[in-house]
Amino acid sequence: MTFPATPDITLPLRRGARLGRYSLWHVRDYALNRGLPTLIVALLFGYLGVSAMLMQLGSPAGTPAYLIRQYGSVEAARTAARHALSAGFVGTFIGTYAFLAALIAMNGIVSNDRKLGFYRFLFTKPVTPAAYYGAEFLVNGACVLVLTVLLALLYGAIIEPVLTVSLLIVVAAGYLCYAGLGFALSALSRWDWLSLVAVAGAADILWRLYGESTSPLAVLLRLLPPLHRTSELYAAAAHGMALPWQSVLWLAGYGAIAFAAGLAILRQRRLAFN
Amino acid sequence: MFGLAGPNGAGKSTLIALMLGFLGPTAGAVRIHGLAPRRFVEQHGIGYLSELVNIPPAWKVHQALHRYALLAGVSANQLHSRVARSIAWLGLEEHRSKRVRQLSKGNLQRLGLAQALLHDESVVVLDEPTHGLDPVWTQRFRDIVQDLRRPDRIILIASHNLDELARLADRVAILDHGRLQRVVEVRAGDAPARERAPYRLVVARGAHIVTEVFPRAKLIGRDEYQVTDATVEEINAGVAKLLARGALIGAMHPLHSALEAQFREAVAGGATSEESR
Repeated sequence: MTFPATPDITLPLRRGARLGRYSLWHVRDYALNRGLPTLIVALLFGYLGVSAMLMQLGSPAGTPAYLIRQYGSVEAARTAARHALSAGFVGTFIGTYAFLAALIAMNGIVSNDRKLGFYRFLFTKPVTPAAYYGAEFLVNGACVLVLTVLLALLYGAIIEPVLTVSLLIVVAAGYLCYAGLGFALSALSRWDWLSLVAVAGAADILWRLYGESTSPLAVLLRLLPPLHRTSELYAAAAHGMALPWQSVLWLAGYGAIAFAAGLAILRQRRLAFN
Repeated sequence: MFGLAGPNGAGKSTLIALMLGFLGPTAGAVRIHGLAPRRFVEQHGIGYLSELVNIPPAWKVHQALHRYALLAGVSANQLHSRVARSIAWLGLEEHRSKRVRQLSKGNLQRLGLAQALLHDESVVVLDEPTHGLDPVWTQRFRDIVQDLRRPDRIILIASHNLDELARLADRVAILDHGRLQRVVEVRAGDAPARERAPYRLVVARGAHIVTEVFPRAKLIGRDEYQVTDATVEEINAGVAKLLARGALIGAMHPLHSALEAQFREAVAGGATSEESR
C-alpha cells in the first residue's frame, strides 16, 4: 500500500476554518481538563458558603422578632435576611471564582506544551502559535461563562436567582483581567500559575498600601492588575446595583492588553527551550 | 533524500530545530524556499517526526491523528479517510482507540510517523525515525520512505544509523561539534575500485588457503577472516583464485560501508576548515 493512495483533489481548509473546527477540540479539552476541576472547586466553595448561610437563616420559628416587625411577616423577614446573606456571599464568591477559573483555565496553556514538547507536532503544521493559543484563550473564556451560567442557575434553584447580565459582565471582566495576565505569563515563563498567584497577591497588597500614594513611583502600580477596583464591582453585581463601568473597563482593558502582550510574545519568542 | 549523520551531541537535532524555527540562529540565517523557517512552516507545513515523540498522553490514537490532520489542513471531506489510511498504513488499527500513554515505544514511534505523513507536505523531516522500531517495522519504514520519494519533495533524515542512511539517502551531511564536516554523495557509487578498505570473508570450505591467497588476512572467528587494505579488484581476483582452488565462500562484504568510512574519517579527523563553518 502506498500513500497517498489518491490525490487530494479538494482544497485544503483555510487557517481560520481549521482553527474554527479545531475549537471543538479546545472545548473538549477545557471540559475535561479545566472545566471539571473548576466546577468541583466552585461547588466546594459554594457548598461551604451556602451551608453556612442556611444555618444562619435557621428555621422560620427562629426568625428574630425585630425582623418580623420590620418586614411585616416571617416570610418577608426571611426573604430579606436571605437576600442580605446571599448578596454578601455572592460578592465574595465572584472574586474567588473569577480568579480560580482564570488560574485553572490558563494554567500551562502555553508553557505545558513547551515544557513537555507537545509544540513540536502542533507547530510543524501550518498554524501560528499565536492563532492556536489565542483561539484556546477565547474558547476557555466562553466555557467559563457557560460554567458561570450553570452555577448561577444552580445557586438560584437553592437560594435565590442571581443570574443577571451584570453578573456575567463582572465575571467576564474579572476573568479577562486574570486570564489575560495568566496567558502572558504562560507565554513568557514555565512557572505561569505560580507567577500569576504571586502577581495577583502582590497587586492586591500594593494597591491597598500605595493606591492613594502621590509618589511618582506609584505610577508603577499601573503595571499591576487593577485589583483595587474589584470590590466595588463584585458588590455592585451581587447587590444588583448599577455597574461602575470605569472599573469594568479597567479590568477588561488590563486583561486585553496583557492578552495582546502574550500574543506578541508568542509571535516573537522561539518555542524550544535552549 | 538528504541524510544528516553525526555522533551524539553533534548538533543534528539543533540543526533541525533551527530549520523548523523552534530555535533561532545565534549567527547567520536559515531559509527554506527563500522564507524564514517559521514563515515557511506557517504557510506550508512540514511533515516532521521528532526524535522524542511527544503527544499528550491522554489523547487517543485516532483522535490525535484527527487533530493533527485538521491542523495540517487536510480537507474536511478527506479528514476521516486520511486518518483511517494513516492508521492502516502504519499498522495501528488495533491501537486506534488506545490512549497515547498505553502505547509501546515502537507504536508511539509509528504514531509519530503517521502524523508526520498525514498531509502531502513538500518538506519532510525525520529525526531518528527508526528509534524504537523492531526489525520488521524498520524495514517497513524504509519502504514507506521510498514511497515518499517525489521530485518536488525533499526528505531529510537525521540518524545515528549509517547503514540506514546509506540505504535511503542520496547525500549525507556529516556533522560534528556543531559544524558541517563533509557531504558524502551516497548514490554516486560506493567506494571507488582503487580505494583500499577492510573486508570480512567467511569460508564454508578451504579455510587453509585463505591466507595463501590473501596474505594480509587475519583470522577473526571460526572460518571468518578480515582482509585488510584490499581494493575491489584485489578482492575479486582473490575470490576467483579461492573458488578455482576449491574453496566455498559463505560471505564476503566490506567491514564498513563507504559512508561509514567517510564518517569515521570526518569525525575522527575533526575537520574544521573555515569553509565548513
